Amino acid sequence: MPAELTTLAQLLLNGLALGAAYALVALGFVLILNATGAINFAQGDMVMLGGYAAVALARVLPISGLVLLPLVMLAMAGFGLLFSLLAWRPFRHRPPIFGLLATVALGLTLQEAMNAVEGAAPQAGPTLLGTGEIRFGPLGLSRASLGILIAGLVLGLAQAWLLGRTQFGRRLRASAQDSVTARALGIPVDRLIAASFMLAAALAGAVGLLLSGPYFVTPTTGNDLILRAYIAVTIGGWGSLKGAVVGALLIALFESVVAGYASSVVATAALYGAVLLLLVVRPAGLFPALLGRRA
Amino acid sequence: MLRLDQVEIRRGGAIGFALDRGITVLLGPNGAGKTELLEAIMGLRRPCAGSIRFDGTDIGRWTPERRARAGIGWCPEGRRVFPGLSVGENLELVARTSRAERRRRLDRVLDHLPTLRDRLGVAAWTLSGGQQQMLAIGRALMTAPRLLLLDEPSRGLAPMLVADLFQLLRRLADDGLIVLLAEQAVAAALQIADRGLVLERGGLRASGTADEIRSHAALERSLLG
Amino acid sequence: MIRPAALVGLAICGWLLAVLILGSGYELRLMALAAASALMAIGYQLVFGQAGALSLAQGACFAIGAYGASILSRLGWPLWAELPATVLVPAVLAGLAHAPVRRLDGHFFALATLGFAVLVRLVAVDAQGLTGGANGLVGVPAFGRGPGAMLVGWGVVGLAAALALWLKRGGNGPALALVRGDADLARASGLDPARIRARGFVLAAGFAGAGGALQAHVLGLVSPDVADFQVMVGCLAMVVIGGRGSVAGAVLGALLIGHLPEWLRPLGASYRIAYGLGLFACLLVAPAGLIGALERIWPSRRTIGAPTPSPAAPARRTLRIEGLEKSYGGIAVLRGVTLEIRPGEIVGLIGPNGSGKTTLVNLISGLDRPDRGTIRLGDRPLERLSPDRIALAGVARSFQSPAPPVGMTPLDLVTAALAAKVGCVGFGAAAALDPLHRQAEGLLRRSPSSDIARALALDPAILLLDEPAAGLDADERDRLASLLRALADEGRGLLVVEHDMAFLMRLADRVAVLLDGRIARVGTAAEVRADPVVRAAYLGPAAC
Repeated sequence: MPAELTTLAQLLLNGLALGAAYALVALGFVLILNATGAINFAQGDMVMLGGYAAVALARVLPISGLVLLPLVMLAMAGFGLLFSLLAWRPFRHRPPIFGLLATVALGLTLQEAMNAVEGAAPQAGPTLLGTGEIRFGPLGLSRASLGILIAGLVLGLAQAWLLGRTQFGRRLRASAQDSVTARALGIPVDRLIAASFMLAAALAGAVGLLLSGPYFVTPTTGNDLILRAYIAVTIGGWGSLKGAVVGALLIALFESVVAGYASSVVATAALYGAVLLLLVVRPAGLFPALLGRRA
Repeated sequence: MLRLDQVEIRRGGAIGFALDRGITVLLGPNGAGKTELLEAIMGLRRPCAGSIRFDGTDIGRWTPERRARAGIGWCPEGRRVFPGLSVGENLELVARTSRAERRRRLDRVLDHLPTLRDRLGVAAWTLSGGQQQMLAIGRALMTAPRLLLLDEPSRGLAPMLVADLFQLLRRLADDGLIVLLAEQAVAAALQIADRGLVLERGGLRASGTADEIRSHAALERSLLG
Repeated sequence: MIRPAALVGLAICGWLLAVLILGSGYELRLMALAAASALMAIGYQLVFGQAGALSLAQGACFAIGAYGASILSRLGWPLWAELPATVLVPAVLAGLAHAPVRRLDGHFFALATLGFAVLVRLVAVDAQGLTGGANGLVGVPAFGRGPGAMLVGWGVVGLAAALALWLKRGGNGPALALVRGDADLARASGLDPARIRARGFVLAAGFAGAGGALQAHVLGLVSPDVADFQVMVGCLAMVVIGGRGSVAGAVLGALLIGHLPEWLRPLGASYRIAYGLGLFACLLVAPAGLIGALERIWPSRRTIGAPTPSPAAPARRTLRIEGLEKSYGGIAVLRGVTLEIRPGEIVGLIGPNGSGKTTLVNLISGLDRPDRGTIRLGDRPLERLSPDRIALAGVARSFQSPAPPVGMTPLDLVTAALAAKVGCVGFGAAAALDPLHRQAEGLLRRSPSSDIARALALDPAILLLDEPAAGLDADERDRLASLLRALADEGRGLLVVEHDMAFLMRLADRVAVLLDGRIARVGTAAEVRADPVVRAAYLGPAAC
């Protein structure tokens, strides 16, 4: 392979792994968006919490990241339930801005709490597949990145299966499309919404663990992630799960390539520039939501 | 089985009646309150006054989910199928039973609605109006209701489909399902109905057998002024 | 009866005075910094509180002001040149940033402002040559110790508060409340939410810039911390806790948040947790902030003078609809509707459910565009105009659900429409509130519902009424009928969509029947009633 192509391929490969992580965050974001219609500004902070949970558990239990992953996800699911009771339940009859601000407030509280408890210094979490690099011909992929890719794929497929092939998933999708009719057909919409929060939190926890090894955790880890998720969901089509994944991958690939050839600063600037351009040209995103019904 | 006493969906109009079998048609111009009454029975709306009893129990405080689980089936105005889900998913998701029982119900429903059998994998939003109506009814039937509420199912359907639809309702009623049907297609509905209720401005103007209602002056007056 | 906001303002002045006289150098400086935050919060209140749009760029504009002041003063610019620059630069940049998302929904706006904030931070941290990079800039001319900083700072806040109050005076209040509460209803009343949001955003940026400049001159330096998202969250907290939509609330919030680190110092590093928890608690318990809570305890009563007499006769114009077609998702709802509504006549529109009556009204009022066909008022084509332009041009409509949006009284709703008609759209150009209130009162007394009064406020040549008799009892129907007759006699043309036949029969000059997407018959009420096609549609084929 000629050198330029190798470089490009390497950048794309690195971006893919990060994209898998972003995609999981975006999926959690969209789950809550579809279930409640509200933006969860604390999604990134939930990832951060998951990361710290992974760090804490790894300190206490000397087992591999692979075994810790389901534990962290379970713990975070519990947190998700608590979160839904605080951020959604009290505000569900009020205008949506309240729920949004509540997630901002809770996210902020989480950040400051972790800052107080753990301090601002980055901490390393457990790794999934150990450290080091694996080579595929001229290309190299760190084990951590490989772990993220595999976990992302598995979790993504598991979520697709859950939503697409189980009664739970069907009911969740139905409630998101028409919660009033769903209720009148006996579907426990409120419980499903709580379950969405639990699922989103579990996904966030997984990302937290996955990123804690190679990228370390700090209290502000979540800030960049929520921005990426928000952008991913916007360019992918507001409310579309497929769109969120594609959007996340595109962002990561774009950033990786531009950062590789220019700098990360240019990458971020170019990203926002590209997003603004897209908003002008095609605000509905790549996978526009279904046309609404006319009464 | 269903009993309304002095129910006011609007101040000033008192509605009272009882149903325990067959098909009852709810007639009246729009704005009369037909949809509001059905929504009140389903629990999607709170009446200003009065009591609603189902099998003797006052269900006034019950959530819609609970009423659905108790046996009230819902087929709303405009069909409102879940657009992004397939026909099969629309049907299966409402059944709150074991998988085997779900399959059995699905088979029975598809027997009643054969046009859906070939379209199980199709996304609901691509169906025609008539097919969506069939799906909405099928979906309601999958909840194994004892009382079925339908809000203007004939709207936007070709006359032949309307005839098929009403024949289906008649068959279901003969099998024991109690049907309360709000309609604007007066003539066709009265042909299959056992009883009729005429609503006007939130109040009950007339009630009786289908024959009585058909020739009732109140009906013509309320529809044509 | 003094409003709580004014009392709070007085209390703030008292607090300032106390610190001025008794405070240590440290406390004076804290107050000066609070003044800078207060400027940012007052501005934010314009876009978030008044226009109701979630902007996430206010902190970034504050940073632009701080950096602008630092850079320019180090270059030797005199103060009188520097200050306008620190206000204008963020405002211009904000205007540019808003342009691409002008016509888009709230969450796109939030994202665009978020992007703006990220870019500003990037520049602050990375543009070494301009902003000093991670170290920032020092040597900015600063106030020394002593009360100078505080006096100047709060003097500017006083001016800013006066300006903000001027911008939201008069008819603006209800108009902005309507834009926040229900964008579609606002458009139908002649208001343009996009324009209001744009103006609020640009104005807010200017205020934030001034605040940033002040902070730079108080501290004598600027660092990239000022562009952190923390600042934005703090601003949000100030406005929410103080009271969204209130200038006094913004100032109060700024003072509280500014002093929070001091008061909570005993808690050590965890004091910032109080931030988030306090904000959350406020959302839960006092959604309208402290000012809102006070106003609930001591509501101010409005006294309104006698209503003014009805305005002069409206313009007389004919509404002509020709060949209107509309399909949704492949299903044709209107297949070629042709109809005329002349001044002074009442045209009833009937048809079975699903025949397209509401669609027709939506097309005429601009909520949707027809696929084919024309709509003319006089000679003016309306098909391409936005709903607010159509409303101001003389075609007003009422809606089926007549209640005003949450938090607005019927008086507010009608006043909003009057303000739009008079031409106060957004900030700065406002009509005096009292005459508007009196006019609104008069309209409300005349109309059976606040929504019809709102439509009348636009002084329409053509009035579209969507089931106005729904839910009314016999007496109210009579009143409505005489009102509609009187309106027609004034020279207006009315289109009344109704199901209540009895009501239409005695009221309408002509009745049009919409069947299958077309006008099947137009005639007098009696003619239509006896028409066999119409009877078949309603009673079934057997009943002819």
